Parts: sequence; structure tokens; C-alpha cells
Amino acid sequence: MPPIRTWTMDDFRLDPSRPLYEQFVEQIRAMIAKGELEPGTRLPSVRETAASLRVNPTTVMKTYQELERLSLIVTYRGQGTFVTEEEEAIRRSRKELAVAAVRQMEETAKSIGLTLEQLWALAREKE
Amino acid sequence: MRNEETRNLGTPAIRFKNVEVKVKRKRVLADVSFEIEAGCLAGLLGPNGAGKSTLMRLMTGLMVPDRGDVELFGRPADPSRLGEVSFLPDRGQLPAHLTAGEWLGFAARLYPDWDGAREAELAEKLGVERSKRIGSLSRGEEARLQLLTCLSRQAPLIILDEPFTGVDLLSRERIASAVVGDMADGRRTFLIATHDIREMEQLFDRIVLIGDGTIRGSYEVDELRSSGRSVESCYREVFA
Repeated sequence: MPPIRTWTMDDFRLDPSRPLYEQFVEQIRAMIAKGELEPGTRLPSVRETAASLRVNPTTVMKTYQELERLSLIVTYRGQGTFVTEEEEAIRRSRKELAVAAVRQMEETAKSIGLTLEQLWALAREKE
Repeated sequence: MRNEETRNLGTPAIRFKNVEVKVKRKRVLADVSFEIEAGCLAGLLGPNGAGKSTLMRLMTGLMVPDRGDVELFGRPADPSRLGEVSFLPDRGQLPAHLTAGEWLGFAARLYPDWDGAREAELAEKLGVERSKRIGSLSRGEEARLQLLTCLSRQAPLIILDEPFTGVDLLSRERIASAVVGDMADGRRTFLIATHDIREMEQLFDRIVLIGDGTIRGSYEVDELRSSGRSVESCYREVFA
């Protein structure tokens, strides 16, 4: 039997002034990257998720569609939705997250007139 | 069932066109126009006295506008269409001397579209105790029983007027869960009037803002959020 995950409101932090499905995608993606959601884990249905998180079912549908597009989850008709067991898809997603994080750090570095390497060195410099 | 199949795709579930209502020469609604897409969960938001309840009564056909048109699924609202509308009125009262179970048995015989299987499923989710006398229920318990009555019907349009007023937190959560669980298959359209935004803002896909009897805005909630606004901030902008 694969592990089964149920969601509670405490699993997510939501900002009401950003599209909710984007935030669910980001946070579930991070759970998969971290291994907190293991490959093969069964996810609750759209209806169950909407009811337990008290969000609109459309939001959950969009979230699952986007995660499917990223190949991070798969839905088998009549069986349910599962976290992918393809290590490659998870690795690729983790890499995308890393690239995005570095890009953001580069922006921060640039905003104070440094390259990423200089930023790193400066931050680690001993007083 | 038949209603859903014969309904044209793209026809809004609710449509108000230039609706005006006067009560004793006072204008309660002025030039109200808006549409609600079928299959969505819409919030009707506005302060007390804004005209929310009047607007909902017009949808049941129990009240007729002085001017303009009210349409449900492309046809005029009318009392003969009550079978298509499940309405939870604000401060509605159930007979106090009955038990919850007796009331549900009565409702099952009263409404031709009653769905017994759904009743059983929802009674458990909502934690309704059949043996309790209605007169002894707390406000939250009574609100859950009222919602159960509304959702156990198969009507394609559900209208809830202030389902959270005076209801405790846990009951509010159960009500919200039941509503979203119920609409997940996209067959029903919900319109919920509330001034309790925080509890509900994650649920809506559309909000219609009403103040002083006029429509002050109608927004798709995802579009609002994409522009960095929340339901609450939008409400404040309009009504503060």
C-alpha cells in the first residue's frame, strides 16, 4: 500500500492577495523536492481537498493540473492521484527551484552592487 | 438532472438586468445589473442594509421587481421555478417542537428533489444529531441543520443568506467544508450573501459587491489576486 497523504490547513501558508493555486503549487512542489511527500504517495481527491482546506474546488483542480503539467503528480482514472515515482521529474523540478532561487539571489546581489560570488564571500567573511 | 442537460452552456445561472425595487417609495435597489456563471461559487458582499436580502428574494420569484429583469438559467425568475432554487433565508426558523430527524423526514416529503443518500452523507459531515429537538439546538447546530436541508435537495441553484450569522467557529468551518465538498462536481451554482468575509474569502470564485442598493463591483477573485489584491482589500476599497 502506498502512503496516503491528507491535507490540513496547517500544511499551507496562504497570502490572500496572491492566486491561491499558485501558492499551493509552490508549496506542494517544495514538499516533493524535500522528500516530505514521498514518490508514490496518494493524494486526496479534489473534492476531499477542497473540503478539508475549505477552498474552492476550482483552485484545487488548477493546482493538480499544474502539478501534472510539471510531471510531479499523475492521475490514474478510478485509482486516484499520486506523487510521481519518476526520479527524473523530481530532480528536474528541484533543479528549476534551485535556478529560480539563485536568480533571485543574483537580483538581491545586483541591488547592492555585487555579483553573486561577491555577495556570498561578503556574507561569509569573518569580522 | 434534466435541468442540467437542457441548460445551454454559457447561459449564466443568475442574471439581473437594470433591476429596480421600491418599498414604500424608497428605492431599495437601483439599476442593478450583474451575472453569475453556472457552476461557480459567488459571494454577495456588502454591509447590512445594502439590499442583499431583497436581491435574494427576487431570485426566488417571491418578490417582483418594479423594473428590470431577473433571470435564472436564461428564463425569468418565478415562484413556479422554486424547484430549481434551494434558498436558506436569513434568520429562517424551523419548527421548534420537532426533532431534527422529524424535520428531515418532513422535508424529504415536502421537496420532490430530495436526495436521501446525500442527506445521510451530509448529516454525518455536518454532525447533525437527529434525536435533538430543534428548540434546544444552539444557533450553530440550527444553522447546520438548515444547511443540511438546503443541500439535500438536487436544485441546481443554492442561495444562502448570511449562513454564518451568530454561528460558532467550528460550525462555520463545517458549513464551509460541506459547501465546497458539495459543489466539487461543478453541477451546482452557489450564491452566498455574507458580511463575514474572512471566513469565506478562500471559497469564492466571484464576488459581487453591493452597497446602498447599487452594484459597486463584480470581480473574478483570481483576477483580483493576480493584480495583488485580496477580497478583503477590495471590500475595504469599495466600502471604507
